[in-house]
Amino acid sequence: MISRRLILRQGRRALSQPFNTQYRAYTRVQTSTRDNAGLEGENEVDAVKQFFERQSAALAASQPSASPTQSNEVDVKDAEDTGDTANYYHLARHQKKSNTQFGSAQDPFYKPRELITNPPKPEDITLELLLASQSHLGHKTSLWNPANSRYIFGIRDGIHIISLEVTAAFLRRAAKLVSAVTEAGGLVLFVGTRAGQDRCVVKAAELSGGCHLFERWTPGGITNGTHILGQCKTKVVDEHEQELPGYQNQLSQRAALKPDLVVCLNPLENYVLLHECALDNIPTIGIIDTDANPAWVTYPIPANDDSLRCVQVIGGVLGRAGEAGKQRRLAAAKEGYLTYQPKQQLKKPTFADLAQEKLHVEADLPPALPPAPTPASHASSDGEHLVQ
Amino acid sequence: MDALRLPVRLKRPFCAALPKSRAVHLHRNGSTTLPFGETVRSVSTSTSELQTSIGTPLVPYRNEEGGYTLPREARVRIVPASPSYFTGRPNFTDHLLSLQDLLRRNELLPTVPPGQAPRTAWRTLTEYKEGVSEPVKSAGYTKILSILNRLNHINPSLMPSEVREVIETYKRKVSPFDNVPNPHALDSWGRGLGVGRRKTASARAWVVEGEGEVIVNGKSLSEMFGRIHDRESAVFALKATERLDRYNIWALVKGGGTTGQAEALTLAVAKALLIHEPGLKPALRRAGVITRDARKVERKKPGKLKARKMPAWVKR
Repeated sequence: MISRRLILRQGRRALSQPFNTQYRAYTRVQTSTRDNAGLEGENEVDAVKQFFERQSAALAASQPSASPTQSNEVDVKDAEDTGDTANYYHLARHQKKSNTQFGSAQDPFYKPRELITNPPKPEDITLELLLASQSHLGHKTSLWNPANSRYIFGIRDGIHIISLEVTAAFLRRAAKLVSAVTEAGGLVLFVGTRAGQDRCVVKAAELSGGCHLFERWTPGGITNGTHILGQCKTKVVDEHEQELPGYQNQLSQRAALKPDLVVCLNPLENYVLLHECALDNIPTIGIIDTDANPAWVTYPIPANDDSLRCVQVIGGVLGRAGEAGKQRRLAAAKEGYLTYQPKQQLKKPTFADLAQEKLHVEADLPPALPPAPTPASHASSDGEHLVQ
Repeated sequence: MDALRLPVRLKRPFCAALPKSRAVHLHRNGSTTLPFGETVRSVSTSTSELQTSIGTPLVPYRNEEGGYTLPREARVRIVPASPSYFTGRPNFTDHLLSLQDLLRRNELLPTVPPGQAPRTAWRTLTEYKEGVSEPVKSAGYTKILSILNRLNHINPSLMPSEVREVIETYKRKVSPFDNVPNPHALDSWGRGLGVGRRKTASARAWVVEGEGEVIVNGKSLSEMFGRIHDRESAVFALKATERLDRYNIWALVKGGGTTGQAEALTLAVAKALLIHEPGLKPALRRAGVITRDARKVERKKPGKLKARKMPAWVKR
């Protein structure tokens, strides 16, 4: 069996392969037994070593202040193993940093990242912004939903053009609604399940202290919440949003939470969610393109839901509005006022409750997995500092 | 924007314009403007608790002396522990988001070429699901793993400590890749011992430097094996590397038949040869002599004549 395989290799493949590929292994075996085999190899290694020494000397000369601080982070042993990657990297960063001051400044220009990291506020809504973000572009006229006729400005190149004045007005109205809800301590759910909408939705939820959903809505999350969300944890916070211990026993017996307002950036794909909201009298805000049914949501925002830029502008504005409402609530709490109706829904935790919760926490140690992301880490979620 | 402003009376002012001092009372009557210069209408359409609290007066909870006029349980709110509450898998979603965030922050660091990252055994899906106690699907966990693999490819000399810590938490507790067999060495007489098995035969071969003598169970190769093919098989490791005249073999083999014994010897000799010359491994691999042939006689099953043969089927 073995000989046959060898013959096959020698015979058939010998014709199709170049000599070096075929006999490389053979020559390697031969040279390894020779006494003077390594001579050429050693010369090569020396040359490489000399090159690296020259490079690092040049680097040390050209890098006046950055190297001592950087070298603290770098494991010296690893750096040796992997050549001069770390040194080259720091040199490149240093050069980039020192060269950015040269050349012409091209400002202002569209920075796609900024819509996520620093979204526009409601007072930044202008027709120019909406136009630049393509929110006026609707669908092919044959795809329209006639209920949207009141939002449509006209037809151009076979597609409907959405009236930006209406968009701006409806967006402002929605922003007021979101900020009023967060001010009154309500829970806003931001939903955007299309590809690319996740970061915008997460940012809006983070700003407004609400929730986000960027994957499929689990049907029954509202109408069958006990079953679908029964395992998801809740917490008790006071008027300053400080978490209070000792209520876990009572919380586990309560029904799952429901959002007080749902913002849906792509209503077409989320009919089930919107229907559940309607069944439960939960108001909804949605981006309504010319092919969508505006009756699916309570507060439509006529705009182009296929443009990521438009969706990010609208999601960002609503997130900022929620942030403003939250800040008003916290400011009032600082002054000694509640912006929501007080109600006695929980009992005072007993000493046993507190002790049990503490025991529970201790039993969980060591933490099996890393903690959830903190808002601070999200705020700086950008590779930008590495670029600059 | 001014044209859109409507004079609307509010039940309660929005306290955005709260001054630093306690001047809330000044704003308690009449219309007000939102911080972005807009007036607002009450949006109440039904009578949920939240909607009744929109547009109602502010509720003081402290008295002049600084004490509380409302008990703590009346002031609290119940909120989700995580912003991913409505996904149904909050822990998993939070982990995914934090990893995406971590990768975004370290995306521009130089990487090692694909496949050259430190070999790492991540937690399996089952282990991860036990950790988060949520119904995580395989596709979802694959997203986490792909981010981890990408982070693992950051050049080790520039790996930030935060990335290192996160990678540690997702590693399996006991890495199977740390479990490496002890290296074999020549004994004090310069012999290399190799063990090989094939079918039911097992062989031990001691290989020393010499002139090409072979003794198997005290017999020469031609006494031991009648077939030339078997004799060739037994020393094929030496033949394929052209070392037949450089080593002596002293071997013990038991069990099995002639083919099994000969091919068990093949493996044993090859392994013993590797102790002398580890650099031969690729050549021996290509010659096909360091792979254990795992095929064995398949057991007979009840209801069958042999392992798989069915009895002839006769009508009635």
